[in-house]
Amino acid sequence: MKKIQKLPVIFGSVCFILTIAVFVQIKTVNSITNDEGISLNDNAELKDEVLRWRQNNKDVYKQLEEVEARLEEVRNQAATSSEVDKEVENQIKRNNALLGLTEVKGSGAIIKLDENREEDPENIIDINSYLVHEGDLINIVNELYNAGADAISINGKRIVNTTSILCDGNIIRVNGEIVGVPIEIKAICYPHALYNLRRQGGYLSLMVSGGILVEMESSDNITIPKYDGVYKHDYISSNW
Amino acid sequence: MIIIAILIGCILGAIIGINGPVISYTYSGYLAIAIVAALDSVFGGITSVLKGNFELKVFISGFFGNAVLSILLTWLGVKLNVDIYLAAIVVFVGRMFTNLAIIRRYYIDKWSDMIKKRGGLIKSKKQNETK
Repeated sequence: MKKIQKLPVIFGSVCFILTIAVFVQIKTVNSITNDEGISLNDNAELKDEVLRWRQNNKDVYKQLEEVEARLEEVRNQAATSSEVDKEVENQIKRNNALLGLTEVKGSGAIIKLDENREEDPENIIDINSYLVHEGDLINIVNELYNAGADAISINGKRIVNTTSILCDGNIIRVNGEIVGVPIEIKAICYPHALYNLRRQGGYLSLMVSGGILVEMESSDNITIPKYDGVYKHDYISSNW
Repeated sequence: MIIIAILIGCILGAIIGINGPVISYTYSGYLAIAIVAALDSVFGGITSVLKGNFELKVFISGFFGNAVLSILLTWLGVKLNVDIYLAAIVVFVGRMFTNLAIIRRYYIDKWSDMIKKRGGLIKSKKQNETK
């Protein structure tokens, strides 16, 4: 008699647990499918491929860094022999720093841009003025160069001669790499140039009045990373 | 009796599950394989009840043990970049079909017996009437 009473209770509770799990799983899958707008199984291969290429990319960059380190070593060895060689070596180092091929340090300014997410959407007249656009970054970079900046980076992407700052749908690309808010612009420059950037009618004050959160600080210890890309000169024909 | 208990359990579970939380996508694959394992255990349990060799300890340990083991195997597969969960699904779903076939045959036999008995009764009644 006791066994007959036990069985339904056990099966009932087991099915209870099972259906909870099933429904939680269905809810999870649905929520993801709704968020992404695609089904999960479609793009597994694509995801895999992207990951593989990213790994390849990383490996090649590692190789590049190793080769550069060896080049540096060889140059140092070659430069120990004479005064002229040392001078040439110093010139190469300085030129590389200017070209953005080495990490540089110095005093300067940090500008942080962020979008105000707490603003009530009903109070916003022009949503565009609340977003950081690629044009804003270009204007700020120009203002910084006007103020005498030596080196600038946006979210760790060094600004060099061949840099592009592009709008790519809902993201910004700097040097072809994705950059999104919060944006941190670092510049090695005269630290008090910030006062110049803050001036009335300057671009940053326009952005503040547009509704973007702008923070500025000067620092004596700013590190700007080197340019990750490669310079290519296919059409320059002079023999240098 | 068991069927009613299963129905009540399913309905209660569905109500709680619909209002339940959403887990992160990382763990949803593990939960899915655990669900398949648990489902297999339930069908196995029903089959053994019908056969009459049901044992509580085996059933409960199978229900939780299989789920945990399949989750661990899936995790190992992710770490090794091998789809081990496919093997688990093949085994569990294969067993599910076997168990379902046993359950189906049991009830078909039962019903055909009943129909035969009833048919016999009706025939005998008719025979009685004609006599």
